[in-house]
Amino acid sequence: MASYEREHPQSATLCAVAVEITELSGAGISLTSAGDESTKLCTSNNVAEELMDLEITLGEGPGDEASRSGVANEESNLMSPESSRWAVYSPEAVAAGARAVFGFPVRIGAVRFGALSLFRDTPGPLSEAQTSDAYLMASVIGRAILAMQAGAPRNTLSKELEGHSTFDFSVHQAAGMVSVQGSLSIKDALVALRAHAFASQETSSALAQRVIARQIHLDPTSGTWQETLRRNNS
Amino acid sequence: MAARESLLIATLVELADNLVDHYDVIDVLTVLSDRCVEAIDVDAAGVMLASPGGELQFIASSSESMRVLELFQIQADEGPCVDCYRDGHAIVNQSLDETDGRWPRFTPKALAYGFRSVHSLPLRLRGRTIGALNLFRTTQGPLDVDDVVVAQGLADVATIAILQHRSALDASTLNEQLSNALNSRIVIEQAKGIISQATICDMDHAFGRLRSHARNHNEGLTDVAWGIVGGTLRAQDLDEPKEFTPK
Repeated sequence: MASYEREHPQSATLCAVAVEITELSGAGISLTSAGDESTKLCTSNNVAEELMDLEITLGEGPGDEASRSGVANEESNLMSPESSRWAVYSPEAVAAGARAVFGFPVRIGAVRFGALSLFRDTPGPLSEAQTSDAYLMASVIGRAILAMQAGAPRNTLSKELEGHSTFDFSVHQAAGMVSVQGSLSIKDALVALRAHAFASQETSSALAQRVIARQIHLDPTSGTWQETLRRNNS
Repeated sequence: MAARESLLIATLVELADNLVDHYDVIDVLTVLSDRCVEAIDVDAAGVMLASPGGELQFIASSSESMRVLELFQIQADEGPCVDCYRDGHAIVNQSLDETDGRWPRFTPKALAYGFRSVHSLPLRLRGRTIGALNLFRTTQGPLDVDDVVVAQGLADVATIAILQHRSALDASTLNEQLSNALNSRIVIEQAKGIISQATICDMDHAFGRLRSHARNHNEGLTDVAWGIVGGTLRAQDLDEPKEFTPK
């Protein structure tokens, strides 16, 4: 997993864009694996890198909390005596140069992909616009991580992120169906669906519609996609 | 008329009860959509909310049929809800006419599914529009003026329902509530897929089972959906819908 950044140079772009649109000092994205462990996907600069390493080593911090709880959090003044949320992380984060940190979960429904951690070198809460942008960014990152895990060809990622920040409801329904077909987690089902859409050069929605119409399914024994034989459908 | 008023009062009481403690936003907005169809002269109703990024997304409807959901899905791009949300003004008595070219994707689909007129009312909070209530009718002609008032009242109740507590009046908490509501809807869709595959039923029946189970066991719709997706509840063990009939 550590080689993600090398395998996916696009991921570094995600952090850079997150910093740009939220106008903060730095950003990092962590991935949550099945065992609840976090790994680093990317960071935007050295301080963000140090903060991310702290979170992962200590198992506490804004991204860690966001990914565990599924809700966003904000520590707008790490130097305040009331800032005792993370006993070890907070003083270390201050030493690294952060004064305020923010965590946003990266998720698609019940699927937890990880978190977006943001920091600023001055204290203070996020503005309304910054909060909206961070939520939007977290949503876009969710799609991007899914596309990367589904083996998106290098040049397709930006295209992938055009349009809506979330999928059609049909994609989520189909992911639920495929998880039962293949005895997979919803996350793996979503990745499998996305990967097959890439491979067959169709949109996720188009493939999802075919899954829902029971025209195609994931065969559990072979792990391959198979067109469903049409019985006498009235 | 009297029957309608008592239905309306019953709805408000039901919602007020729901709004006291921890409650499920999707549940409340589904109830509200159902009551729209019962209380006023419309054939389908639903709520769309703006994501923190500003896109409209489907949250709840009186009908979970794929056709109606599709009409909401299209409205992420165009349609009465988008116009209502963007301008912050109600759109009422909009006859669907393919020749006017107003909504080139939405209108033909809505007509094909039997709808003839649409209305959309803003969900507004202190000058900010956070979404829209969408009403569909299978007939043309204007809505009764009283109906419009009632519908806007229900839209206002929906807005209150989204603000799960007072602190939601601050912007970042409102964003969090919106984000949670939208994510809950995705969990429900994922659960519908699991139920549909595990028990071989269609999506609206799957939703009916989720809803019946939630009601019978006094749990939130989203909690039941999480149970299904998380594997703590088996699709086969969900209650069958009894009275619930998707309209």
